[in-house]
Amino acid sequence: MFYTIIEQVVNGIVSGSVYAIVAVGMTMIFGVLRAINFAHGEYYMLGTFGAWFAIEYFDLPYPVAVVIGVVATAVIAVVVGNFVMQRIVGAPAEAGVLATLGVALILQNTVILVFGGSYKFFSGGYIEPVSVFGFTLAEQRILIIIVGLIVFVGLELMVTYSRMGKAMRAVSQNIECCAVVGIDVRHIALWTFIIGAGLAALSGVLTAPVNVSVYGGMGELITFKTLPIIIMGGLGNVRGTFVAAMILGIAESLVATYVGLQFRDTVGFATLMLVLMWRPHGLFSAQARF
Amino acid sequence: MTIELSRRGFCIGTALIGLQTVSSGAFAARSEDGTVRLGLVAPMSGPNARYGAFSLRGAQMAAKEINDAGGVGGRKINVMPGDSQGTPVEGVSATRRLIDQDQVDFIIGDVSSSVTLAMQPVVEDAGVLLLNAASSNPMITYKAGVGGFKWTFRNYPTDENRSLLVLQYAAEKKGFTKYSVLSVDTDYGRAAIHFTKKYLPRFKSEILTEDYYKEGEVDFRSVLSKIRDSGAQAIIMYGNADSAPIVGRQMMEVGIAGKIPLIGNAEFNTASTIKAAPKAMEGAIEAAAWLPGYDSPKSKAFVDKFTAEYREAPNNHAYVHWETVHLLAKAIEQAKSIDREKVRAALSGIHYDSAVGEVTFDDHNQARLPMILLEIEGGKPVVKGAYKAEIDYPK
Repeated sequence: MFYTIIEQVVNGIVSGSVYAIVAVGMTMIFGVLRAINFAHGEYYMLGTFGAWFAIEYFDLPYPVAVVIGVVATAVIAVVVGNFVMQRIVGAPAEAGVLATLGVALILQNTVILVFGGSYKFFSGGYIEPVSVFGFTLAEQRILIIIVGLIVFVGLELMVTYSRMGKAMRAVSQNIECCAVVGIDVRHIALWTFIIGAGLAALSGVLTAPVNVSVYGGMGELITFKTLPIIIMGGLGNVRGTFVAAMILGIAESLVATYVGLQFRDTVGFATLMLVLMWRPHGLFSAQARF
Repeated sequence: MTIELSRRGFCIGTALIGLQTVSSGAFAARSEDGTVRLGLVAPMSGPNARYGAFSLRGAQMAAKEINDAGGVGGRKINVMPGDSQGTPVEGVSATRRLIDQDQVDFIIGDVSSSVTLAMQPVVEDAGVLLLNAASSNPMITYKAGVGGFKWTFRNYPTDENRSLLVLQYAAEKKGFTKYSVLSVDTDYGRAAIHFTKKYLPRFKSEILTEDYYKEGEVDFRSVLSKIRDSGAQAIIMYGNADSAPIVGRQMMEVGIAGKIPLIGNAEFNTASTIKAAPKAMEGAIEAAAWLPGYDSPKSKAFVDKFTAEYREAPNNHAYVHWETVHLLAKAIEQAKSIDREKVRAALSGIHYDSAVGEVTFDDHNQARLPMILLEIEGGKPVVKGAYKAEIDYPK
């Protein structure tokens, strides 16, 4: 009994790590651009497709495919960032919603058009199970947890010490003042978007070996998993997002075990409603961005 | 100004109605162009697009064969696809579009039971013959023929037979009595388990845990570790082909691969699924309507031709759609007309030689068909026999 609970918590932490890497990008984009990026799951999908394409067509090893997936997504993010995301800085909230929804549809359907709508089989990665403290986990899942920690520590260091990170923090707090003191807000917005999309892609390529199937519509589910996380974490709050992702991952895992797998997807929004009743601004303050 | 505008509106409206009448007039000449318009509703996009692609290829290959041989009663078959995206809402609108705009004579569809159930009342209202080739929920033919919907036929075995045969094989040949359920949360997955429960007492068996997953689910580990600890001897899975490799890989992770086999139906036997999780698929038991390795000359010829044509081995959906188009063509030939009433009557009394045996329909418009039982042994599907069972319709 106790063993099972611990095992489910470990499972939850693995799912939480995946959610965290995707959600942190989305929350950073919200912090800087004030727009919920409804196309975020699509960058997760693009990263996965990039890696799948590299393995399937060029027979490249998995680590190289990871780099290709992330870089290809970053390149697409540069294009979308220039044409769409930079223009919604300071625009009304509806513009951001519609623009990102539009981008989501275009990206998803382009992939379906090019590669077909069916599931693809992702054959890379490290799927051999290993025993850690009596629990069996695929090597890939251990990799996901490690990469998740590296990403968060890296982001923390970046926003605290680097010039770009400091500028991101400043923009997320007050766009007008930044513009007044000479910070190139559009440039910061573009870079935040590229980093966010890149992280979503990274999460996609890391999970592909354990999720096995790859298809054009896979991003939608991720976007809707990520939404409650970033709201719970306090929109724009990076550390809050990490904690919220872990809470959701563990809650989902326990619900799937003790209530039923079919209720798993309801956990996110049910937890969100409970949290919002108690703390309308989310678990963590939106003022304490980054 | 207002009056002028509304006058203009009136004129435009009248013109449009006129146009509509003219175009309906054109459509009324349905099939007078000498073709048989055959609608095919299937998921052409979305997560189940793979099934739609196979269905369409199967149907198109059959249509081409018939057309190359001079057509049916001198008419060429024109397959007109409609995308259901695997959802009832899209399936119904695709069906309406095929009936109203494309003026099809007959419809084949859908792969998904939920979609077929939603299409039934639509074709009934329109009086268009719906020949289902791949849905297995028993309700589809409970409600058809003497059950009410006279325009629905099904050329596919039902989950009631499937559940019975799988359970029988597992109990008698493997000695299993304790099961866990992991099925897809659709009319197909739920119905298969409903009927499994109906036959459990017959084999003195029980279900220890029961879980249903949403299509697109990728994390089964929580449930699989619950199953590992439950004492189940096998996992009853009625799901889609795309989930089987994920479940298999995660069974390896939680350490039940090779210990607790999968039984039911989720295309355990496809090469890519076995390749994804060879250890988990070993010993999997599946009841299928057909599989590429089925040993009959007609079936083998189909596999060879399909593989040569599309450079990919056919799956179950490709076969059933190919066979169903041929079946419909035979009914049209026997009716000597494409009149729907006549074709329906011909179908009711048909004796058609399919690749898996003779097809006849019962009073619920359900084809009497065998199910093929197979087990994965040494990484290859091995056919254990073809079994037929009469359907126990509710009184």
